[in-house]
Amino acid sequence: MEQNRGNWYLLTGLILGLALGMIYTWVISPVREVDTHPNLLRDDYKDIYRSLISRAYQANNNLPRAEARLELIGDNDPALALAAQAQRFLAENGDNEMAKVLANLSAALQISSGPAATPIPPTVSAISEDETSNGSNSGSNSENDGQDSATSTREPTSEALSSPTPSPTSSPPFILQDSSPICDPTLGETLIQIIATDGSGEGVPGITLEISLGTNPSEVFYTGLKPELGLGYADYLAEPGLTYQLEVPDSGLVITDIEVPTCQTESGDSYWGSWEIYITHPN
Amino acid sequence: MSRWTIFILILLLGLGLGLVYGWVVNPVSYQDTTLESLRVDYKTDYTLMVAEVYHQEGDLDWALNRLTLLEDKSPLVSVENALKFASQAEYTLPDMFLLRDLHNAIKELE
Repeated sequence: MEQNRGNWYLLTGLILGLALGMIYTWVISPVREVDTHPNLLRDDYKDIYRSLISRAYQANNNLPRAEARLELIGDNDPALALAAQAQRFLAENGDNEMAKVLANLSAALQISSGPAATPIPPTVSAISEDETSNGSNSGSNSENDGQDSATSTREPTSEALSSPTPSPTSSPPFILQDSSPICDPTLGETLIQIIATDGSGEGVPGITLEISLGTNPSEVFYTGLKPELGLGYADYLAEPGLTYQLEVPDSGLVITDIEVPTCQTESGDSYWGSWEIYITHPN
Repeated sequence: MSRWTIFILILLLGLGLGLVYGWVVNPVSYQDTTLESLRVDYKTDYTLMVAEVYHQEGDLDWALNRLTLLEDKSPLVSVENALKFASQAEYTLPDMFLLRDLHNAIKELE
């Protein structure tokens, strides 16, 4: 009987000891992490780090230093990460000031990195039989068969930016170039799209935009937060049937009667379109 | 030796191996660290950023709030540590001045 038990107890002791040792080192007293790198920071601390880098950039205007600091965080695309954080801040806590600081650094990075996709002003031909009646019709559904028909030949174009002249922290006076409904079934969303360009047609990032609806307080957003769509691009998800007003506060420019149009496909199906606004400053 | 003695010895051997494995060979790997655990050069740069913003905006409350996240004994200690490292690492004079200004402002407050 004694011999049958063999030496299994030795293996049992070893395994038990190993298990106890690993529980102690992994759970009870794990290695205390010191001397870590910023790319290991928890996401919320990375946000704090990015915010601080952006504020420091605002203070010293030293872009190479800001770039070097952002590199430490390890984002694949620091400009996109900053823009995404700015959008998150706007959406979550409405920290407009911080969002703008983040957007400014994002824009500065995009400008310094050279070519960017910039939607070029309109080859849009938004043809509407009765554009002003869109609002009254837009409350209806797709059964409202084609009182409005608008077509778009909008062609976003990639164009190399030759000289990064626009300053993200200053807002030149903008004038309205075009404000019209567009029908583009590929958009998939009812958007109010804003494209801000300078006199040479280059996108201008960091422009403050305020959109309001009736007596509702304004919502603030900025150009350049979606760098993949152009430095001067911004959009707002609009609701059909409502009439919006867009303001460019630094320029005193107010654009009214912005509404989601009803559009028709070639096969006669109705869908909600979008609204496109081009602003520019002629200098 | 009795079987129990051998069992205890083997158990201790296993425990020792377990400790070596858990602390040395395959320690817990952290991905979500805090600002407190940053290496001293990164902490110094963090403090320098706070000093740069403070120099421009003069908001000491905000600066103290940011420095508190480093979880040193006090914000003053954070700046002192940063000054010490910046001196050793031969930071430029303008950066040293920024840190010194922040240090003086916090010291005055205390």
